Amino acid sequence: MMRILFYFGKRLIFVIPQLLGIVLVSFLLVKSIPGDPAVLMLGPTATPSAIASLREQLGLDQPLYMQFLIYVKDLLHGDLGTSWQTTRPVLEDLIQRFPATLELVTFSLLLAIIIGVSLGVHAARKPNGWIARLADIYGLSAGALPDFWFALVLIFIFYTVLGWAPAPLGRIDMIVLPPMPITGALTIDALLAGDFEAFKSASAHLVLPVLTLGLLNAGPILKMTQATMEKMLESDFSRYEILCGIPQNLVVRHALRNALPSIVTIISVLYGFLIGGAVLVEIVFSWGGAGQYAVQGVLNSDIYPVLGFVLFSAVFSLIVYIAVDLLYFLLDPRISN
Amino acid sequence: MAIAEATSSTKNARSEALSPLIAVKNLRVTFPAGGSEPKEVLKGIDLEVQPGEIVGLVGESGAGKTTLARSILGLPPAPGRISAGEVFFENRQILKLSEPELRRLRGRRLSVVVPNPRAELNPLLKVGDQIASMAKIHLSVSGKEARRMALQMLRDVQIPDPERRMNAYPHELSGGMAQRVVIAMALICSPAFVISDDATSGLDVTVQAQILALLAKLAADHGSAMLFITRDVGITAHFCNRVAVLFSGEIMEMAPRESLFLKPAHPYTLMLLAAFSHSPKLRETWSVPDTGRRREPSAGCQYVNRCPLAQPVCRTQRPPFAEIEPGHFARCHFPVRHA
Amino acid sequence: MYSKLGLIARLAVIRPRFAIGYIIVIAITLLAIIAPVIAPYSPTEADSTSFLQVPSAAHLFGTDNVGMDIFSRAIYAPRIDLTIAVLGTLLSALVGGSIGAVVGFYSTGRGIRVWLSFAVMRAADVLQAFPVFVFAIALVASLGQSIQTVVLAIAFVNAPIYLRLMRSQVLSIRSMRYVEASQVNGLSDMQTIIRHVIPNAMAPVLAQLSVNIGWGILLTSALSFVGAGVRAPTPEWGSMIAMGFQNVVTGQWWPSMFPGAMLAITVFGFSLVGSSIEVLADPAKRRELLSDLRERRTRSGLPVEPA
Repeated sequence: MMRILFYFGKRLIFVIPQLLGIVLVSFLLVKSIPGDPAVLMLGPTATPSAIASLREQLGLDQPLYMQFLIYVKDLLHGDLGTSWQTTRPVLEDLIQRFPATLELVTFSLLLAIIIGVSLGVHAARKPNGWIARLADIYGLSAGALPDFWFALVLIFIFYTVLGWAPAPLGRIDMIVLPPMPITGALTIDALLAGDFEAFKSASAHLVLPVLTLGLLNAGPILKMTQATMEKMLESDFSRYEILCGIPQNLVVRHALRNALPSIVTIISVLYGFLIGGAVLVEIVFSWGGAGQYAVQGVLNSDIYPVLGFVLFSAVFSLIVYIAVDLLYFLLDPRISN
Repeated sequence: MAIAEATSSTKNARSEALSPLIAVKNLRVTFPAGGSEPKEVLKGIDLEVQPGEIVGLVGESGAGKTTLARSILGLPPAPGRISAGEVFFENRQILKLSEPELRRLRGRRLSVVVPNPRAELNPLLKVGDQIASMAKIHLSVSGKEARRMALQMLRDVQIPDPERRMNAYPHELSGGMAQRVVIAMALICSPAFVISDDATSGLDVTVQAQILALLAKLAADHGSAMLFITRDVGITAHFCNRVAVLFSGEIMEMAPRESLFLKPAHPYTLMLLAAFSHSPKLRETWSVPDTGRRREPSAGCQYVNRCPLAQPVCRTQRPPFAEIEPGHFARCHFPVRHA
Repeated sequence: MYSKLGLIARLAVIRPRFAIGYIIVIAITLLAIIAPVIAPYSPTEADSTSFLQVPSAAHLFGTDNVGMDIFSRAIYAPRIDLTIAVLGTLLSALVGGSIGAVVGFYSTGRGIRVWLSFAVMRAADVLQAFPVFVFAIALVASLGQSIQTVVLAIAFVNAPIYLRLMRSQVLSIRSMRYVEASQVNGLSDMQTIIRHVIPNAMAPVLAQLSVNIGWGILLTSALSFVGAGVRAPTPEWGSMIAMGFQNVVTGQWWPSMFPGAMLAITVFGFSLVGSSIEVLADPAKRRELLSDLRERRTRSGLPVEPA
């Protein structure tokens, strides 16, 4: 136990400067976006004195480093600033939208894991078989497809032509009342509320975006599974198990167990990546998630939503990495030694 | 049952039964070698083991010992390929069996004790579970019974504190303990035939001796015959019924233990024995280790480049595997005669 | 040993998918060059009398919602997409690669240089921790929307990759005997980099370049898709897909599908080329390939070349 605590302490020492760096870079970046928020907020007819007083109120008259220090101080108090587009605190906006992104990304990741791991394991069992060939081609082409276009293809086929999928306009039908937000994930909230109608609608809306992200992002998981499994199946202990007459399925299962740490690592990296990587798909499906919120912020000189989103995704990646570290302790008895 | 099998098999061994437990016939294994002709690593091995018998197989590294051990189980080390030959186990040609049939033999009737066991044991499974799974899979016993058997095996291989070791992971064991675990796995199903592949090579000498004695005793208890592969010719003197000498993929000499140690006929065997001998004179005469010529002679005797007695004919003609005395074979044009 | 080019040619024969990669890349490049000759219409002028026309002999890929010819625009598009992606990628390799090489040389030993190289690596960590797309879009927004800034954005997000790549190359090559020898012989760090490191790092960098050009094209079109990259009416795949977006929902698939398909095929081609170079750069994979090649020759009765 001490060892685990020590491990996380060391990890945090590395992580906190990195978080600060992320905040600093994004602050400078977004600050250098031209356009005066005070002018944008008050509109072209505002008087110079009104603009000046608003600038003062927003702290925009302070030197840049002061603005940064104020921002960091506010951050520590849980204040991520205010979006002038929604006129609401960014933290509230993000808490409302982040679950939408998280729900989309999590289901997509699950799909990617199912595809990547099962295809990877089968490809590794027969490195020269047709599944290995298929996995090879799939890995190459999935990474090459633009997700925003692939989403359109799916919309055209399943919404426009076949009419199986709902219109790509948000997370739930307009006429369906969304369930009381508990987790923020509509499917789960609907189930918790026992609202089957809402669950059906929310799941139907998830299908196409999840298919898009899941299919196109399975590549890295597939590659990692295939490579690690090939190595594990050629390893001394797999060969020894075969020499001991252990059935092939069990040998493969044991090899997978040994390959799991590497696969989990790539999955965690992908999870963090997808939070920001889902932006375009969110836009195509009018998902109303955190990524879409950030992009609108950039396009409208609304800096705090962008900063908030970058921070949220960085912290999220961090949480995932820490969870994965914990998982390693469970997966591999050698680590705790 | 095990006891009955053991007594009957020793009887068979003594009476030189006509039907051997395992018979390797003209086994050839090749490895692909970039572009040119594939390299032959086993060049026609003939070997028989009677029920209950312990046969020693001695050879230096690279002689093909491990390849032979694995090929007998139908699984030559990759990328090797069995290009010719047959392996009969209880009169069944096992190289022709389907993969599931072979699987049911491996670990159950034919098992192997591997060297460097800490790399061979699955690092993420407790050793108790690994031993028990052998019984569960091959003997179809319940999980509880399998664990009971595994614990008994750990006691038999004299691991200290066996109850606690059941729940240990391989990396928590010393090399000697891991070796005992592998022996437990090899013997838990009371196989008819055990191959010990250089099993103690990584251990220090005192532990080696203990483990080998244990292995021999347990094999006898379980009624298992054994092919005992080693680099150390001295070890075979302790408990092998017969000894074969492997050099460069060929068996150079094969004889009952006494005959081999007292009347070695092949110059290579003499060299091996001289290396272990206490007589300086003998060592000087026979230790002509290596001339640095690595290319194997294509025709003639494989040992010709290192042989102090080599004659022109040795370069051109492959010597026959001749019976120079009843039960004593040597592959040499000029076998050493003892007075 | 085969020459590099000869090897690529042979490789194409026994691994058809690599051949496909090279064919795609060459074809798209050619298409971009000869677009003015073969385009039936102007890529930027709209014929308001014939908008949203179904693909036909007159308009091979149909027309879009303002009446521009999609085929002409789609074959003009790689001019801008490829140029941006290639320039951005080269820039990132040049800047990231040279910083990485220097950092690699300084990251062992002691003194201020070590601290500097440590700081550079942590800065690279920070840059790579950003969500790529949001970072790129923020860069474009802060520097002003233009083609140059898209190039810069691509260079910026990819630079850490080359930084790491060159650093590890330098570190591994530095530890080899012959580099130590050359340093003893009095070659300067710079000379060592030029003589030993760069030739050895060529293959992995080339493989990465090819893959990144594909990504660069994806990023350019994605930025244009949300309106932060190349602006219409300049022919560009991403903005074309965006223009046709609403039409797809109502059933006119062609304004988005054709440019999207060309985009996907192009990126696919560059990934294939990248993976073929990767195979060549990996000694183990190359050996496997050569033995495969030899096997085929033996089977077909051709003379076998010595390895």
